[in-house]
Amino acid sequence: MNEESGCESCKKCGENKADPQWKKDFPIEWEGDHYVSRREMVKFLTLGSAILAAANWLVAWIWHRRRNGTFQAQMIGSVADLERNKSILFRYPTEKDPCIAVCTPTGELVAYSQVCTHLSCAVIYKEEELFCPCHNGVFELKAGRPTAGPPTRSLPRIVLEKRGDQLFATGVEVTA
Amino acid sequence: MSVQRQGTTLFTAILVLVATGVVVQLWLLTVSMEAVARHDAHTAIPAAVSSTVLFAINMGLLRYVLRFDRSLRR
Repeated sequence: MNEESGCESCKKCGENKADPQWKKDFPIEWEGDHYVSRREMVKFLTLGSAILAAANWLVAWIWHRRRNGTFQAQMIGSVADLERNKSILFRYPTEKDPCIAVCTPTGELVAYSQVCTHLSCAVIYKEEELFCPCHNGVFELKAGRPTAGPPTRSLPRIVLEKRGDQLFATGVEVTA
Repeated sequence: MSVQRQGTTLFTAILVLVATGVVVQLWLLTVSMEAVARHDAHTAIPAAVSSTVLFAINMGLLRYVLRFDRSLRR
């Protein structure tokens, strides 16, 4: 084998004499390497896709469970406590969920979550409306729909029930 | 062009499609989680169904890749 001019076998294998010894000892076949790495990446991403689909169903299941969850009735005060054109605050269904009950000027009792659907500030009763002082959001009293300011979604409605002189919260209704 | 090189080109194209699907799935998951957090009833199920459809498409593409690979090895 003539090393100066390069032998037949060296031309065949594409070996370059200028290559360092480690490259000769551990030759890398780039074409095969690209082929395998892309194939493995497709496998890996499909596994990720499966995990994401499962996570999406998990979220849907959590929503379904929460939606169908039964609410326990909870006394929030006596009817006499709630005068016309006044409001009272309570927490329902958990201690972490502040709510507001209002007796409208016409004598109707309504209750909503006190958490503004914009950025979660507490809404207050003001001039026959529910007002969010953080960004001047306004919700009407009849259905809790936003009428002014940045909020775009209605306040969750708390279902109220009169039992004698007592006023009970019995459920939460969410509208889009 | 060798069959393996053709496979590399094909896998690159499939990889782009699968990656796009995964990005859309990530977006769907984010939207779904946000909707659940704000008690929105209209998003979670359609998002989960869409995510499953994307997963099925990705599985189909992976199956094609594996079949191509198998035929190359033979």
